[in-house]
Amino acid sequence: MKTKSILTLIASLAVATLWAIDVPPVGSNAPDFSLTDAVGKTHSLSQYKGKYVVLEWFNPECPFVKKHYGSGNMQKLQEEYTGKGVVWLTIDSNAPDTEGNITPEQAQKIMSGWKTHQTALLLDPESKVARSYGAKNTPNMVIISPEGKIVYEGAIDSKPTPNPNDIPNSTNYVKAALDESLAGRPISNAQTKPYGCSVKYKSS
Amino acid sequence: MLGSRMKPAPGSVFRLAICLSILGFLGRAEAQVYQGKELVKAELLADTNAIVPGKNFTVGLLLRMAPGWHTYWKAPGDAGLPTELKWNLPPGLRTIGGLQWPIPLKTNDPGDIQTYGYEDEVFLTQEIRPGAKIDDSRLTLSAEANWLVCEKICIPGSANLQMELPVSTTSASANAELFARYRQLLAQNWPDSKTATANWSRANSELRLKVTSATLSKYPAVDFYPIPPENAIIGHPQIGARAPGEVSFRIPVESPKTLSAIPGLLVFAERPNGTDRAAWELELPTVAPPRVLGHARRVISFLFFGFIGGFILNLMPCVLPVISLKIFGFIQQAGQSRQKILRSGVAFAAGIFAWFTALALVLIGLKIAGRDVTWGGFQFTNPYFVLLLSVIVLVFALNLFGVFEISLPQRLSRGLLASSERKDDLGSFFQGMFATVLATPCTAPFLGTALGFAFTQSPAVILSMFLVIAAGMSAPYLLLCAQPAWLRFLPQPGRWMLRLKEVMGFLLLATLLFLLYVLGAQRGVAGLIWASCFLLIVSVVCWMKGAFLTPGAPAKTRLIAAITMSILLVLSGVYFIDKQFRATRYAAKEVRLQGDWQAFTPERLQAELNQHHPVFVDFTAAWCLTCKFNEQSVLENPVVRAAFQRHGVTKMKADWTNGDPQITKLLQQFRRPGVPLYVLYSGRSDKPIVFPELLTKGIVLEKLETLSASVVAK
Repeated sequence: MKTKSILTLIASLAVATLWAIDVPPVGSNAPDFSLTDAVGKTHSLSQYKGKYVVLEWFNPECPFVKKHYGSGNMQKLQEEYTGKGVVWLTIDSNAPDTEGNITPEQAQKIMSGWKTHQTALLLDPESKVARSYGAKNTPNMVIISPEGKIVYEGAIDSKPTPNPNDIPNSTNYVKAALDESLAGRPISNAQTKPYGCSVKYKSS
Repeated sequence: MLGSRMKPAPGSVFRLAICLSILGFLGRAEAQVYQGKELVKAELLADTNAIVPGKNFTVGLLLRMAPGWHTYWKAPGDAGLPTELKWNLPPGLRTIGGLQWPIPLKTNDPGDIQTYGYEDEVFLTQEIRPGAKIDDSRLTLSAEANWLVCEKICIPGSANLQMELPVSTTSASANAELFARYRQLLAQNWPDSKTATANWSRANSELRLKVTSATLSKYPAVDFYPIPPENAIIGHPQIGARAPGEVSFRIPVESPKTLSAIPGLLVFAERPNGTDRAAWELELPTVAPPRVLGHARRVISFLFFGFIGGFILNLMPCVLPVISLKIFGFIQQAGQSRQKILRSGVAFAAGIFAWFTALALVLIGLKIAGRDVTWGGFQFTNPYFVLLLSVIVLVFALNLFGVFEISLPQRLSRGLLASSERKDDLGSFFQGMFATVLATPCTAPFLGTALGFAFTQSPAVILSMFLVIAAGMSAPYLLLCAQPAWLRFLPQPGRWMLRLKEVMGFLLLATLLFLLYVLGAQRGVAGLIWASCFLLIVSVVCWMKGAFLTPGAPAKTRLIAAITMSILLVLSGVYFIDKQFRATRYAAKEVRLQGDWQAFTPERLQAELNQHHPVFVDFTAAWCLTCKFNEQSVLENPVVRAAFQRHGVTKMKADWTNGDPQITKLLQQFRRPGVPLYVLYSGRSDKPIVFPELLTKGIVLEKLETLSASVVAK
């Protein structure tokens, strides 16, 4: 009995190790990817070299994501920074048959219904991009420099709650990092602890 | 709840339904309903049927989740949100301590997502203390609960809960089975060091936790659930190694890089997430603010202590060689006129004052510049300062041996000063300064506390503190000069003075040995040898001065000698010091540790305190003679060693020879400007005991006894 539990433990540890996702640290090269968007157009990270790129992990069912879309906070950020030449890629990495996985048609509907302003809403049903970035949460935010380096990763803001009333009293880390980057200053808060729902990876 | 602009998935609406329950100690339950399904039922429950004034009771939030749904622990892991409970208590009631969380279940989701939470049901309890007198006959306790409940999807929920309890003189227990069941699931305090010890260490970007305990051998499933401090970003703990009675965890740390330990639960069970799970709570070691013996607050009293401390500086071991110099000076002066003696005394005192004033101004400047500065030998942490002092001591010694006569300063002073009498005054002035330079590393009793206080003060207070120390130190000489009658007791000048001069040369050579020992401790054997090479050349130069650069020598000889001496000094300085000595490394600290001493690191101290071990820390330095004296005569005394062993005290040496900034920081925490400092941590939460700077066997043994006395009292 005891031996069996130990074996189970070792086995689960081994599996956990195999599954372990390394988060590429701030300052490292952003892993390249290529994904299709809601209308079937392919976007790769390398094609945006020379511009700041924001990656936003997304799940329309997640209350933490809804907090920022329901309040219009996320749309406002997208509009402001795409207006300043920043590329904003929203990524849905939830596996098929999990909550939050969306088809291209659903993606189009969400974009028009929620009046979003990102450059593109990308579909990553195999969670490949989420895995290469070690994304565990929605929303999880990453900022990539024009040179292709990760310059920020973590939470969208300082209040880890699903309550939209907390937005006015929180510090928006993404906004701060983008403002500092665009002004040519170093980012004062380059890594924070992301919060939110989990990215729904495919069960193995 | 969401804006109208947003159209979430169909039916994603949630509302609260309020179910009224019976009044009284059961309180009222509220339910969170989502798509027609009841997800969570929340209610407050008490362990008593009435509030008895002055008698603590416990109230808990019971959350019952629908099958498959879970809520989160206070440290939820990679996703989720801790349940929150905000109390609104009537006057007369207050909470004691925080919310008590049962040991959670650990869940691994695809994508290496680890979360900590509760399935089916959880009961979070809170201890409440009623006042001694309550006027109302019934009291209503209200609380707002917020939680996140997840299955595949997460739904936030909240409830405003209330419960009413009568106030009575007697009470009976209520909900006993529920409270007992969840009390079983609370983490225990970390056990005593005989049962289990925990050690933190840092390896590159990960922290390692090693737990040693025979108890753990009985459980196949052992895990560590971290409770990361705010702003810390850490990875998943992984079991590094398991041996009988020992388990190690590796925890990757992203930030901050300074993290030295993480609080959390050491969980053990028959199988992972077993219902028999138990845990020990590993807390962050607390380094309590120190309790300083003899702490006085008033500036006046500190100035008084500064004066006394300055006086006692004359008696400190590291000034002893200089004292002989000074006595020699007085003997020489005894043959002169009373007026000359007084002038010499005043000049000597002026030298002391000048040095302390300069030191104060430098410190004030550095303090203003925001640098970490401590007195009591901060110069001695700098090997170049020690080297410079070695050169000065060697040159003085050679002078006393008669290898050369100091003629250059005389000529120089002749140019500077009109009368020849003042040459002696200038000599006395520099003697005074030299005496104080050597006295600096001896932070005498009183002086430490006084200076520690001064450093938190304004520049004016720092300056006056240094001035009273200077006054204290020069007081005996001024006294002797004002009462030259006492000087007459000193013997008459004669042939014996030459011999005494030579003997004192050897005393200076002994001082040089001490300085070289410091250099060796700082820079190892290589550094010591290169410094000695330079000193050898300095000796040759001194000899050349005595042999060829005499006032009677021909001008040509003198010129060649001067040029050769300069070339020798510059070349040896550049090669031995700037090239070779500078390249030597700091000597490894561990090498100097002897016996049962451990090298101090803040992490090690924290780890020991974490396990409630008593710890004695000896803040010392190679150049601190008071420290060496204390160590040899008290700390290494067999009786004292045995007492340390008997009380199970972990002994640590904090070596400040090179001015380790971590140790500097801790010295400042104790308001001490330098070493020696001796601190005894009892291993409990009370404040550490700070010993006086001159240790005695008696005081160490006495404090060690209070350690066991308070254990018994506890």
